[in-house]
Amino acid sequence: MLGQGARLYWAIQWRRNEGLGALFLVLAVFAATYAALFPGILAVGAMAKFVQGWFPTAMVAAAETIVMLTGGIDLSVGPMVSLGSVVAASTMQGPLGVFGGVLALLALGTGVGAIVGGFVAIGRYPAIIVTLALSFVLRGVALLIMPRPGGFVPPSLSEFLAGSHPTAALLLVLLVTLWKLYQATPLGIGLIAVGDNAEGAYRSGVNVSTVRMSAYIISANLQAFTGLYVAAQTGSGDPLIGEPLTLAAIAAAVLGGVGFLGGQGAMRGALAGSLLMSILINVMFFMGLPLVAQYVVQGLIIVATVALPLIRGSLRRAS
Amino acid sequence: MGVRQTILEARSVSKAFFGNPVLREVSIELVAGRIHALLGENGAGKSTLINLLSGTLRPDSGRILVDGRPIASLTPQEAHQLGIAVVQQELSLAPHLSIAENIGLGAYPRRGGVVDYGRLAAAVAEIGKELELVESPDTPVGRLPLGRRQIVEIAKALSIKPRVLILDEPTSSLAAPDVAILMKLVRRLRDRGIAILYISHRLNEILDFCEYVTVLKDGSVTADRPLAGLDPDGLIRLMVGRDPRNLFPPYASHASGARVLEAKGFRAGGAVDVDFELYRGEILGIGGLVGHGQEDFMMGLYGAIRAETEQFRVFANGAAVRSVPFANVADANAAGLAYVPADRRKEGLLLPHSINFNLLLPLFASHSAERRRGAQETAITERLAQRLNIRGDRRRPTQALSGGNQQKVALSKWLALEPSVLLLNDPTRGVDVETKREIYLALRAMAAEGKAVILLSSDTPELVHLCDRVMVFNKGRVAATLPHAEASEEAIVAAAMGVRKAPTLQGEAV
Repeated sequence: MLGQGARLYWAIQWRRNEGLGALFLVLAVFAATYAALFPGILAVGAMAKFVQGWFPTAMVAAAETIVMLTGGIDLSVGPMVSLGSVVAASTMQGPLGVFGGVLALLALGTGVGAIVGGFVAIGRYPAIIVTLALSFVLRGVALLIMPRPGGFVPPSLSEFLAGSHPTAALLLVLLVTLWKLYQATPLGIGLIAVGDNAEGAYRSGVNVSTVRMSAYIISANLQAFTGLYVAAQTGSGDPLIGEPLTLAAIAAAVLGGVGFLGGQGAMRGALAGSLLMSILINVMFFMGLPLVAQYVVQGLIIVATVALPLIRGSLRRAS
Repeated sequence: MGVRQTILEARSVSKAFFGNPVLREVSIELVAGRIHALLGENGAGKSTLINLLSGTLRPDSGRILVDGRPIASLTPQEAHQLGIAVVQQELSLAPHLSIAENIGLGAYPRRGGVVDYGRLAAAVAEIGKELELVESPDTPVGRLPLGRRQIVEIAKALSIKPRVLILDEPTSSLAAPDVAILMKLVRRLRDRGIAILYISHRLNEILDFCEYVTVLKDGSVTADRPLAGLDPDGLIRLMVGRDPRNLFPPYASHASGARVLEAKGFRAGGAVDVDFELYRGEILGIGGLVGHGQEDFMMGLYGAIRAETEQFRVFANGAAVRSVPFANVADANAAGLAYVPADRRKEGLLLPHSINFNLLLPLFASHSAERRRGAQETAITERLAQRLNIRGDRRRPTQALSGGNQQKVALSKWLALEPSVLLLNDPTRGVDVETKREIYLALRAMAAEGKAVILLSSDTPELVHLCDRVMVFNKGRVAATLPHAEASEEAIVAAAMGVRKAPTLQGEAV
């Protein structure tokens, strides 16, 4: 009996790789090129640093994916990360220290997630409008709390998260494990069902509002803790540090095959997408490309990766 | 089978949408171990009745009873718990989830909060065997052809171990082998004492294996009786039987001998091998059950979807001016075709804009570079409004009008172009009786002016009383082309259902 269940589970999981072959291939080619150009990356210390650079993008890509699977979108990722870093850096000097900071971030993530979820899941407002408006609010609040970079993150925490230990890699393993677990619950499967066919899911007895609400709360918590990580990396809070992450999160998710209409895509694709972007940025940085050219190249690669399956599909239809 | 008891019952339920009554005092009893057929034309209220029985909608008056107990307000979740399962026409599947995940959706077996894949696999295997589901349970549903998805949908309904199973046209998208599997299964479920409500337009199927029938006509029950002793003709009479009121203008043909359109082997979307010709001043009706290719035929003719033909001719003043179908809508407009869509809110009108603006819209395409002239425009809109009797201030936004008046705007805006061929897609759907009458008179007037009208309608009496000829579609093909004298409601419905008995029926009716 157990064998039958496990077989079904892994068969379903394996099927989710469909359509990601091209991305994995491109990723492998770029990773190999990177390693060939800069063999130093293969050392443990360099690898740890690389994963630390990738980690925030991976986290926000995951946060964006959860929301996009339900058919929503989050345009306030960047400001939320900034606010997270500001809150972390201004609470950890309090009496409760790091523990107090973590509590504050939990409250921030859950509160903001519940507000967005309330508007989107219960009020039926379009997620794109709610989160766009929210992005201005969050940016403003971050700047009110901390008009310029500052605050305090204990050096021991910085050393633990972003020092010479492979903590970031372990956190990613933890993230993937928790996600797998969530995806095996009715709520987790509900993400895809709701994104695919909300009306059908409702008629089947899925609590559509609960599924959406949980998605936004989990997503906002991931973003808040990305803020903590970024603060630990720099040793301080910064009210604007997250700005580029909004588009990076969406780009990674889209690159990873997560669809805008919901239901389509898998977390592994989004993580692979964020990794590909990180490698690209590193390669271009080491090759000495000017920053502006890096943006152009990033954009072109995203368009190409997204367009390829579409072109292939229309060719197949035409023939 | 022992004592047969009523499991689910509706007792004189009524339901109205926006003041339009859809169901009037309808009662129905679903009895354990019986296959009960629900029959009615499109728009008779079948879907609404199903939604009431399954908790998706609540009745305005009347009661729903389960095991003789009235249920105050049934929700879909409660219905599930009470063992009421519905297989809808609109599938409730998630294409990106696997077959197994779809079957269990909403009621996964769990162990410690996590889905118990072992029990899920076992349950799916059991149902799968019963339904001869050969596909691997990990297959994403989006990979399956439509007919197989329907089987998954049925498996999903069975997974809650229902006591009442409502099947809404389960065979409309199934291939013959799947139909046979389904029939066998439904009989088996009946023998187990499940109450089954079966909706289908395939009369032979119904006669084959249902025991009891309820017929709806315009929201009222016209028959509630055992099927024994009925034949297809009898069923059709039960569905149609009623007098058309004084709604229609007296019939008079304005059709001339001059062709305006002609096609052989025309195919577009779901419409295949259509041969037809259209004459000046003619009203050509298009009938059939929803989704049998009628809309695709019209859209193809109008250049909105791709069409292919063996032969195609457009005539102007007796001379052929074109020999290929229209490639796009602008092409068709330029040749004098105009199309009035069924969904006027989405496709026919810009609701927030004024009546004037909507009336002028088709003209803008031809006046691209000119400056708009207020006085000239007022004259045009004045004339258009008069032709269909659109009253009141035309500067009002179109959404301020009632559905019927909106439809008049959607129709008259094309008259500014003086089209020679008008394609109308169900122009009286959801329109009040008075407006219907005005639209009928307008159609007759247009035909008298020499325009050719193609009228697609789901309202069979319109086809009978307005049209010079009626083309009835069945499965994408023209099942019959009936001249006015032979186009009775019985003949049209029979052709639409694929029963070829029009002549004898005609004989009986006289």
